Amino acid sequence: MAQVVVVTSGKGGVGKTTSTAALGAALASAGERVAVVDFDVGLRNLDLVMGAERRVVFDLVHVVQGTARLSQALIRDKRIETLFLLAASQTRDKDALSDEGVERVIQELRQSFDWIICDSPAGIERGASLAMRFADLAVVVANPEVSSVRDSDRIIGLLDSTTDKAKRGEQLEKSLLLTRYEPGRVDRGEMLGVDDVLEILCIPLLGIIPESKEVLHASNVGQPVTLNNPASAPARAYADAARRLQGEQIPLTVPSEKATLFSKLLGRRAAA
Amino acid sequence: MNLGSLFGRPRSASTAHHRLQVLLKHERGGRPDLIPVLREDILAAIGKHVTVDEDTVRLKIDRGEAVSLLEIEIEIPNEAKQKACA
Amino acid sequence: MSTARPSFKFRGGSFHALVVKPEIPIEGWLAEIDSLLARSPGFFAGKSLVVDVAGLDLTKQTFLDLLDELSRRHIRILGVEGAAASVLDGKVPSLMRGQSERCKVTAPPEETPPAPAVSLLLDTPVRSGQLIVHADGDVTVVGSVASGAEIVAAGSIHIYGTLRGRALAGAYGNPEARIFCRRLDAELMAIDGRYILADEIEPQFRKESIQAWLDGDELKFAAMN
Repeated sequence: MAQVVVVTSGKGGVGKTTSTAALGAALASAGERVAVVDFDVGLRNLDLVMGAERRVVFDLVHVVQGTARLSQALIRDKRIETLFLLAASQTRDKDALSDEGVERVIQELRQSFDWIICDSPAGIERGASLAMRFADLAVVVANPEVSSVRDSDRIIGLLDSTTDKAKRGEQLEKSLLLTRYEPGRVDRGEMLGVDDVLEILCIPLLGIIPESKEVLHASNVGQPVTLNNPASAPARAYADAARRLQGEQIPLTVPSEKATLFSKLLGRRAAA
Repeated sequence: MNLGSLFGRPRSASTAHHRLQVLLKHERGGRPDLIPVLREDILAAIGKHVTVDEDTVRLKIDRGEAVSLLEIEIEIPNEAKQKACA
Repeated sequence: MSTARPSFKFRGGSFHALVVKPEIPIEGWLAEIDSLLARSPGFFAGKSLVVDVAGLDLTKQTFLDLLDELSRRHIRILGVEGAAASVLDGKVPSLMRGQSERCKVTAPPEETPPAPAVSLLLDTPVRSGQLIVHADGDVTVVGSVASGAEIVAAGSIHIYGTLRGRALAGAYGNPEARIFCRRLDAELMAIDGRYILADEIEPQFRKESIQAWLDGDELKFAAMN
């Protein structure tokens, strides 16, 4: 049974696109057939983070409007053969997507993929509502920071009321991916801790991704962070999160300052 | 001092710079719909001689710095119906 | 051959609105609104108000000036209550017809018992941006009320969690209503229209388990253990 996942946050810049690419690559590496879909019409990013920016021929708008078939628009990843990208349009705006058109594309994707991961744009307008509308489950991305947490709470409210699943009276599974976590700053009381965030958002925790230069490096070279440096702390955290999405029970360890310093001593490759 | 270069890892920022230069050159170039237009024209040209199933047409592009590579795969069945001459 | 004409349909609707009653001197009342807006700029955002001018003996010009002053503060006026016929014309908001209007024909007899209070129970947290309005009684939330969420109740408000948003109890004229919460971190609290903002709440009650009630015109707090 195909699973449609929306990766959303409300606030911009917290790690939705990075997480979509990382989770998608981790799932595909495990043999799943994965399609990652960029819903940020007009400001596409997922293709850059995936390193496919030079190969985009047709995009989601082309498929919705019938200019191209889905099979012609899907770009296969060069590194993992079960990973595909459906890019967003750079030249149109959000009104180019119709609800029925997007539903049709998602239905078609369900025929050939195990996971369809929808990268939502920031905000609560059309792009974000379209990305979440047809989802079976939601990964809510938040930084341990007040405005990010508040925006995520807003998004959770929308997930519980505006999605098709909610309208059918079913519960949409939601889980939290806490990104850009800095254990040192949490210990010094400068940053919200995991419990603070969970107390406010009240949804299960999918994973904690530590702040890391690896994310920037991966994006610079156009590789999902789980492929660029799989031994790095964020890559391992994303890999664990992907396994939890698949239903594996993996105990969650909250990153601590001691752990990151120790791994820095051991060797650069494993450092956060 | 950046220890990265000492350990031999290439500076990823320069890769990013290069990728952006190539990408933005294309995006500013202002012909974003060139590919669909080319496809239609090519299909029309072939369609004058044989019937082709549009669904089997595959287009791939790799936008380079100076040169972009466009690959088109079209399946022409051996028993393709030939169009009557005008 | 006559073509069918689309029929013009209309129906009755009843809506909730906030009612404000200006007090003499009007300048003082407007100054109080300015003070409220300075501390809580979004207070009237998205809300339409009904202005109750009964007993104020306004002339048409002072009434227009009042509407003008409210409009300059971006306060949208939906309608008017208690205005004499002399101040109403096509240009001002129309007279609201409803409970407040004395109407000889349809006024319910005094002996009708009040409708039984109905309690609203929410067993999920109230999320940022959500607005809960319950005109028939108390509201109980099993969970927290997020920053940016708002609860408006005719009766009391009971929150088995943290109140981070806004709670307006007794909102339909019940000064006996109370607000209870397990942890106080509210943006705004009000009982029967008397409100208090976050920075006016005494520090000893913040983050505590409290109840709040109305004593005259003031909200009073007590810790609950």
